[in-house]
Amino acid sequence: MSAYLLEMKGIVKKFGGVPALDGIDLQVRPGECIGLCGENGAGKSTLMKVLSAVYPHGTWDGEILMDGQPLRAQSIRESEAAGIVIIHQELMLVPELSVTENLFLGNEITLPGGRMDYPAMNRRAETLLKELKLNDVNVVLPVMNYGGGHQQLIEIAKALNKNARLLILDEPSSSLTASEIEVLLEIIRGLKAKGVACVYISHKLDEVEAICDTIVVIRDGKHIATTPMRQMDVRQIISQMVGREMNQLYPKLERTQGEVIFEARNVVCYDTEKPDRRKVDNVSFTLRRGEILGIAGLVGAGRTELVSALFGAYNGRSEAEVWLNGEKIDTRTPIKAIRAGLALVPEDRKQHGIIRDLDVGQNITLSVLGRYARFTRIDREAELKTVSEEIARLGLKTASPFLPITSLSGGNQQKAVLSKMLLTRPKVLILDEPTRGVDVGAKYEIYKLMLELASQGVSIIMVSSELAEVLGVSDRVLVMGEGQLRGDFINRDLTQEMLLSAALDHS
Amino acid sequence: MQPMPTTKLKQLFTQYKILALLIAIAIIWSFFSWKTEGGFISARNLSNLMRQMSVTGVVACGMAFVIISGEIDLSVGSLLGLLGGVAAVLDVNHHMPLPVTVAAVLACGLALGLVNGYLTAYKGIPSFIVGLGGMLAYRGIVLGVTDGVTVAPVSEAMVQVGQGYLSTELGVTLGVALFALAAVLTWRQRLNLGRHGLPVPPVWRDGVRLAAIGAVLFAFVRTLNSYEGIPLPVLLLLVLLGAFSYVATQTVFGRRIYAVGSNMEATRLSGVNVQAVKLWIFGIMGLMCALAGLVNTARLAAGSPSAGTSGELDAIAACFIGGTSMRGGSGTVYGALIGALVMASLDNGMSMLDVDTYWQMIVKGCILTLAVWVDVATRSSRR
Repeated sequence: MSAYLLEMKGIVKKFGGVPALDGIDLQVRPGECIGLCGENGAGKSTLMKVLSAVYPHGTWDGEILMDGQPLRAQSIRESEAAGIVIIHQELMLVPELSVTENLFLGNEITLPGGRMDYPAMNRRAETLLKELKLNDVNVVLPVMNYGGGHQQLIEIAKALNKNARLLILDEPSSSLTASEIEVLLEIIRGLKAKGVACVYISHKLDEVEAICDTIVVIRDGKHIATTPMRQMDVRQIISQMVGREMNQLYPKLERTQGEVIFEARNVVCYDTEKPDRRKVDNVSFTLRRGEILGIAGLVGAGRTELVSALFGAYNGRSEAEVWLNGEKIDTRTPIKAIRAGLALVPEDRKQHGIIRDLDVGQNITLSVLGRYARFTRIDREAELKTVSEEIARLGLKTASPFLPITSLSGGNQQKAVLSKMLLTRPKVLILDEPTRGVDVGAKYEIYKLMLELASQGVSIIMVSSELAEVLGVSDRVLVMGEGQLRGDFINRDLTQEMLLSAALDHS
Repeated sequence: MQPMPTTKLKQLFTQYKILALLIAIAIIWSFFSWKTEGGFISARNLSNLMRQMSVTGVVACGMAFVIISGEIDLSVGSLLGLLGGVAAVLDVNHHMPLPVTVAAVLACGLALGLVNGYLTAYKGIPSFIVGLGGMLAYRGIVLGVTDGVTVAPVSEAMVQVGQGYLSTELGVTLGVALFALAAVLTWRQRLNLGRHGLPVPPVWRDGVRLAAIGAVLFAFVRTLNSYEGIPLPVLLLLVLLGAFSYVATQTVFGRRIYAVGSNMEATRLSGVNVQAVKLWIFGIMGLMCALAGLVNTARLAAGSPSAGTSGELDAIAACFIGGTSMRGGSGTVYGALIGALVMASLDNGMSMLDVDTYWQMIVKGCILTLAVWVDVATRSSRR
């Protein structure tokens, strides 16, 4: 018999022919805690979705053995029956239901006739929570009465209630305070002692260091190394995570920067659900004419919220003082921000970028449609002229401007959105993850366009999770972490390790 | 992939949705003509049929914009009842001259439509709820204004609005003018396509299309002229069809309606004032309710407190049958009007056959569901 509780062998998962996971191996012993590390987009979450049958057996290649027996789970229910339970980054509790009802959701104890056996469930819930040292939770109250930390622990109780033998924790500590994290780590140690194995995914490497026995690093969907934690330190983990060589992925263009033209002061964004929590906490920065400013940080650091607030697009309460060319400007709505000379290319192209039912040309001109109005009628000739010029300028590959925007590749859709915002002739262009889901060739063209714009005097703010990209095109880099500015670096002899250390607050 | 015959057929219908609708109308009309031994397609009945659909058609024009923008307005039936009631009260009780009545009713309609729009766009109340509230409240006001009794008889001038006809000569002139317009537009489109290096459809195809348009116009004018002429409400509907199609396809406002309905957030981030767009869409809806209310009161020669009851459902059904997308972002005004024609044909034909009311409702319900199913099935192939 195998000494492993779980073995994953040669896992390959492709999305539309592109491998997201390329032959990953993973072994877990009973009572072992694995730290799964990798950059954003390395394939950690995909791997865990394969394991927990979010992607059912047959949609990927490779083999999963549980207790030495092949596991071919078709659904999350089947993988949970085998003892694999995943706790997602976002909480999956129903706020209006009681703690007990949440713990037993989908697995209720019933009396004959389908009636819920509340006394039995409440007793079991209390026992479970006591094991987790959650003594101050009343199991009959709705979950929404408890804070994020407690909710996270209730999630763990829910997993244990399903007799989990392998617990997957995906960024469990992102919404926890320092003391809550201590409790969480203590609980995991207790579980390990009882023989429950864990896969711990976190950007907070100090937690990984504290709790994990073995470190598995993946990068670009490939397995890089499996090393016992006692033979490593955080610096080594980071260099394994980054590990990529810089090559000619980034164009070069000699240009000079002008004076400071843009300034954001005291930007604060409040959480939409917990109004006292700050997603962006008092961030201020300046920007020069023709400068490309990269904003790096981990997922959830508040970068998107920061740039949305500057553009008046944050969907919650926010405060910001924005100055352009020495004048205070009003950017409380996108209309005002555009009028003042700002433009934003949003992160989520499908939700916030393209308009599915309009064609390529109509997407491009939407931001400036009023310019083509002759007594309300659109001057199609003038509109088409602009569209053709834009398509040529950006090298947008489309057979005709009348094709549906959805028929284009991700890179070309992104160029269309970019073109739409460039037509407003912005002085400050904000790009949020401009190359997400864009192929290498189109990436290069987008970088080139950014450099050209900058040399013409447009100032660019680029939010990106790809550190290589941030270093490849930025003049200066801001690093954010937990809503705060963690660093402001001139991009000279700057390394990915330095940025990651700053983001992780581990200098 | 090998295009199978069925997928090819599906593509054809996806591309020319109107084709499926026209075939449906042909089937419905043939069936009723056969059953009524030609009575259904007599000039008198067709004239009647078109006058019957005019009220729903006017509302459906406005509703098409509302649904394309991703909203819904349930208050229109009550609103048209209210505005029709106001028209009757002004005309019968206060003896206002017709132009004053019309102006006052249009102003009321616009104002109430803007109220609906303001609550939806600026106050963030879902349009479904605003509509539901309006449906109750406006109906209540009608009952109050009319004391729950029919207001009659309306003046002769007013009756003309609903029951008048265009003279035969004017009808022919209109038909010729419309044909000329269609020919000029087709020619211009060909020129434009050629100028931008785009594939120009073969001459025969545009020729066939134009011939079909000519034939329909000829049959339309000839049939109506052989009775009394083109009814004024039908003329109004034609004018609205032209105006709404122009707005939808040629103007900045029209483009924004589609953009807002397709992806409101992306449109907002592009610097479009999405709230103002929605406000005016509802304003136009209110105006259409006013026109529909006037026509309805004129047609019945009385202001009835129950006028327009469930008119919103007819208009919404017409839009969906006509291929307007539930989730917003796509649809046409002519589609909505053909949808209204389908509904009116079913009503009219089944009444002629003395089909029980309950059967009429069952059949209409089934047709609506079927039409949307066909729409969903052909749509999914594009995704």
